[in-house]
Amino acid sequence: MVIMQANKIYKTYGNKFNKQEVLKGIDLQVNKGEFVGIMGPSGSGKTTLLNVLSSIDRVSKGTIEIEGKEFTGMKEKQLAEFRKHHLGFIFQDYNLLDTLTVKENIMLPLSITGMSKKEAHQKFDQVSGELGIHELKDKYPAEISGGQKQRTSAARAFVHDPSIIFADEPTGALDSKSASDLLNKLAAMNSKRQATIVMVTHDAVAASYCSRVVFIRDGQIYTQLNKGDESRQSFFNDIISTQGVLGGVTQ
Amino acid sequence: MSLNYIILRNLKKNIKNYYLYVFALIFSVALYFSFVTLQFDPAMDEVGESMKGGAAIGASSVLLVAIVAIFLLYANTIFIKRRSKEIGLFQLIGLTKTRIFALLSAENLILYFGSLFIGIGAGFVMSRLILMILFKILEIDKLAKLRFSPEAFQRTVLVFAVVYVLIMIMNYTFIRAQSILSLFKTTSTTQGLVKKMPLWEIIMGLLGIGFIAAGYYVSSQLFSGKFTGMNGLMLAMIIILALVIAGTYLFYKGSVSFIFNVIRKRKKGYLSINEVLSLSSIMFRMKSNALLLTVITTVSALAIGLLSLSYISYYSVETSAKESSPHDFGFVMKDAGANFVQALDQKKIGYTVLEIPTIRVKLDLGEVLESSKFPDNDTSLEATVISDSSLEGKDVQPGEVMITGYTHALQSMLKLRDSGEVDFYTKDGVIKQQLSELSEKPVLPYYYGGGVIGVFVVDESVFQELTAHQDPNLQNNKPGSWNYRGIMLKDHSQVKEAYNIYLEQKPEFPSFAQYEYEINQRTNMGLIMFIVGFLGLTFLITSGCILYFKQMDESEEEKDGYTILRKLGFTQGDLLRGIQFKQLFNFGIPLVVGLCHSYFAVKSGWFFFGTEMLTPMFVVMAVYTVLYSIFGLLSVLYYKRVIRESL
Ligand SMILES: Nc1ncnc2c1ncn2[C@@H]1O[C@H](COP(=O)(O)OP(=O)(O)OP(=O)(O)O)[C@@H](O)[C@H]1O
Ligand SMILES: [Mg+2]
Repeated sequence: MVIMQANKIYKTYGNKFNKQEVLKGIDLQVNKGEFVGIMGPSGSGKTTLLNVLSSIDRVSKGTIEIEGKEFTGMKEKQLAEFRKHHLGFIFQDYNLLDTLTVKENIMLPLSITGMSKKEAHQKFDQVSGELGIHELKDKYPAEISGGQKQRTSAARAFVHDPSIIFADEPTGALDSKSASDLLNKLAAMNSKRQATIVMVTHDAVAASYCSRVVFIRDGQIYTQLNKGDESRQSFFNDIISTQGVLGGVTQ
Repeated sequence: MSLNYIILRNLKKNIKNYYLYVFALIFSVALYFSFVTLQFDPAMDEVGESMKGGAAIGASSVLLVAIVAIFLLYANTIFIKRRSKEIGLFQLIGLTKTRIFALLSAENLILYFGSLFIGIGAGFVMSRLILMILFKILEIDKLAKLRFSPEAFQRTVLVFAVVYVLIMIMNYTFIRAQSILSLFKTTSTTQGLVKKMPLWEIIMGLLGIGFIAAGYYVSSQLFSGKFTGMNGLMLAMIIILALVIAGTYLFYKGSVSFIFNVIRKRKKGYLSINEVLSLSSIMFRMKSNALLLTVITTVSALAIGLLSLSYISYYSVETSAKESSPHDFGFVMKDAGANFVQALDQKKIGYTVLEIPTIRVKLDLGEVLESSKFPDNDTSLEATVISDSSLEGKDVQPGEVMITGYTHALQSMLKLRDSGEVDFYTKDGVIKQQLSELSEKPVLPYYYGGGVIGVFVVDESVFQELTAHQDPNLQNNKPGSWNYRGIMLKDHSQVKEAYNIYLEQKPEFPSFAQYEYEINQRTNMGLIMFIVGFLGLTFLITSGCILYFKQMDESEEEKDGYTILRKLGFTQGDLLRGIQFKQLFNFGIPLVVGLCHSYFAVKSGWFFFGTEMLTPMFVVMAVYTVLYSIFGLLSVLYYKRVIRESL
C-alpha cells in the first residue's frame, strides 16, 4: 500500500534575481512499512527533500500526498494539524527541549492530540520500554548521553503511532556502538510495528539497515537500491560501490 | 568594507533591535531635563511654604540620576553580552581590540548623544506639561510658562556625559576580557541550569514563603501596642524589612520553582503546551534572576507604598483638615474672635457662631479599654468634656457618655470597647457614666480638645454637675476669657476671602483655620506625591525595560525549542498562547509580590496619613499595573516575532 507519494517536486531558494534550484523534479513513492534511506553528497538537497516531504518546508512546485492527503496547498494551521497526527521526527541534533524531562519530552506529541492521560501513560511505558530508556524518564536531557538522547528523540517520534517517521541523520552524532544500537531499535520498530521510516544518512552502515536506498544528486534522484533478500553485508557493499560512483561523478 | 560602513550598518541593525533601549534613554533624558528645569524655574519658589519646592526637587533629582545611571549601565551589560559573538568575529577577521572599542564607542556615541538631544527636546516640551500637572495638584491658579533653562541643559548634558564615560569604561573592560574563544561558546545557559531540584532549594522555597508571611504578620501588629517606644518601633520595622526582603529573594530563588515543580510533578509527565512553555521555563530561569527581581520588587513596592501614602494624605486633605479643625475657623481668645467676626460683617460674609464650653476632667476608662498599655495598670487620663447641648442634633442621655474624634489613627493605638463604664473624677467624688457611642466625627480642633483621646460628650445636666465640682488645677483656661468658639461660613465658597482676613489679623494662638491646614497639607503632600510619582515612573519604566531586555534574551535562547515544537505540529497560535501564559507569570509574579508588599506596608500605618485607604491605594496600584503591563505586552510582541521566525 502506498503511504506517501511525491510527484515532480521542485524547490527553489532565493528571490527572482538570485535563484537556486535545490530540488529539480523528484518523484518518490513510499509503501507502508518501508524503511527508506536517502543518500547523496553534501549539498545535494537531502535535508531540503526531507523538510518538504515532512511539511516543515513548502515545495515550489509539485504535490505530496501522505495517506491519500495532499498537503502542499494547506494553510499553516492545517499543516500543523497534519504533522501532529501523521508524522514523527528524529533529528540529527536530537531536538529535545532541555527544560523538560525525558518523559515529558516523549509525551509531548500525545498532549497535542489530547489523548487521555491513562492511554498516554500506557503508550509511554510501551515505547520507552522498547527503546530501553524507561529508567531515564525523570532525567533532564542535560543529564543523559547522546545515544540516550537520540533514543528519547526516537521514542518521541514513535509514541503517537504516526503514519511516517522522518529521520535526518539520526546517527550523525553517535559513536558506532550507539549508532548500531539505535539502528537496531529502529529496524525492530519498523518490523514489529510496521512503522514507515524515511531516513537521511551519510553513513553506508546506517543505510544498510534500510529496505531501500534512494540516491540523490544535484536535486534529482540518481538511482535506487533495493535490499530484497540480500544480507545486510552485501547490501552494504552495493551501497558503498554506488556511493563511489556517485561521489566520483559529483567531484 | 570601511569602518564607517560597518558602524552605520551595525547602527541600523541595533536601532531596530534596541528601539526600547533608545526609547528608554530618550525618556530618561527627557524626564531628567524637565525635572531639572523645574528645579531652576522661578515659579517653584512659590510652591510650598514649609519647604522650598526647588530644593526638594533638586534633592530628588540626585535619586533620579542614580536610577537612570544604574539602568543604563545594567542595560549596557545586557547588550554588550549579546554582542560578544560579534566582537569575537571582528577579532577573527583581524581587527584589534582597540579598533573594536573605537567602533563600539563611535556607534554608542551616535546612538547615545542622538538620544540625549532628542530627549532634551522632548524634555523641554514636557517640562511645561509637568509644571501644569504640578500646579493642578497643588491647586495653584497660574499659567505654566515655557522657559528654556540653560542651567538645566548644562546639568543634563554633564550628567549624561559622565554616564556615557562610565559605559565606555565598562565596554572597554569587557572587550579586554573577551577572546576569540567566546565565538564558539554558546550563549545558552539553560544547559547548566536544568537539573533536578536539590533538597536545599525546597527548604529555601519554604523559608521564603515563611519569611514573607512572618514579615506581613509583624507589619500588621506594628501599631497594635505590642511594640512600644521609638526603639521598639524601629526594631520592628527593621525586622519587617529584613524578613520581607530576604523572603522575597528566597521566594524567587526557591519558592517559585518549588511551587511550579509540585504542580508539574502532579501532571506525571503529561504537559500541555502552556505548561511546557511557562512552568518548565520559568522554573529554571526565575532563580537565576532572583537578585534582580528582588531589587525590582522591593523598590517598586517602596514606590507604590510611598505613592499610596502620599496620595492617601492628599486624597483626604479635606477630612483631615476637618479633624484638625472641625469648624471653618475656631477661636479661644475672646477678642480675637470678636475682631474676626467684625471683619466678616464688614465684608458681608454670612456665618454662624458655635459656642462650645469645655472642661478638663480626669477620668478612668477602666473596663472600656480593650488592650491596656498603661503603665502600672493606671488607666486614668485627662480629657476634654463638652455638653451635648453644644452639638446640634445629638442627644446624650443622662448617665451616658459618647466619645467623639475617635479617629482611625487613635483606633489603631488605643482599642476601645463600644460599651462599658467610664468614671469621671471630680474634686468631690466620682461620677459614673456608661459609654454609649464611639464616633469618628471631630467636634473640637485637635490641638485644643483632642490630645491623647477624643472629646467626651455628656448630657447637659451631667456637664453642669462636672462644672460645679471641677478641679481648678486641671483647667488651663482663665474662666471667662477662654472659651472655644467655632465659626462656620454660611457659604463655603467665601472661605478664601475669609481666610485672607484671618491672615491679615494674625490672631494669636490658639486659633484655628481649617483652610490653612488644607492648603498646607495639599502643597506638602502634593509636592511629595509629585516627586515620588516622578521617581516611581522613572523606576517603573527603567525596570520594565530591564525585564523586557531579559525576555528578549530569553526568547532567543528558547528559539530552538519553538522550532522543535512547531515541527512537532504546534501552530504559531498555540505557542503564542503559551507565551502569553508564561509572560503572565514572568511579569505577573513580581508585580503581585510588589503589590502585596506595598499593600501590607500601607495597611500597617496609613492612618497616620489620612482618613481613607482603599480608594487612593487602588488608584495608585491600578495605574502602576497598567503601565507595567505595557512591558509585558511588548515582550509578547517580541516573542511573536521570534516564534514566527523559528521555522
Ligand atoms: N534556507 C535556505 N535558503 C537558501 N538556500 C538553502 C536553504 N537551505 C538549503 N539551501 C541550499 O540548498 C542546497 C541543499 O541543501 P541541503 O541542506 O538540502 O543539503 P544536504 O543534502 O542536506 O547536505 P548535507 O549532507 O550537508 O546536510 C544547498 O546548496 C544549500 O545552500
Ligand atoms: Mg542535511
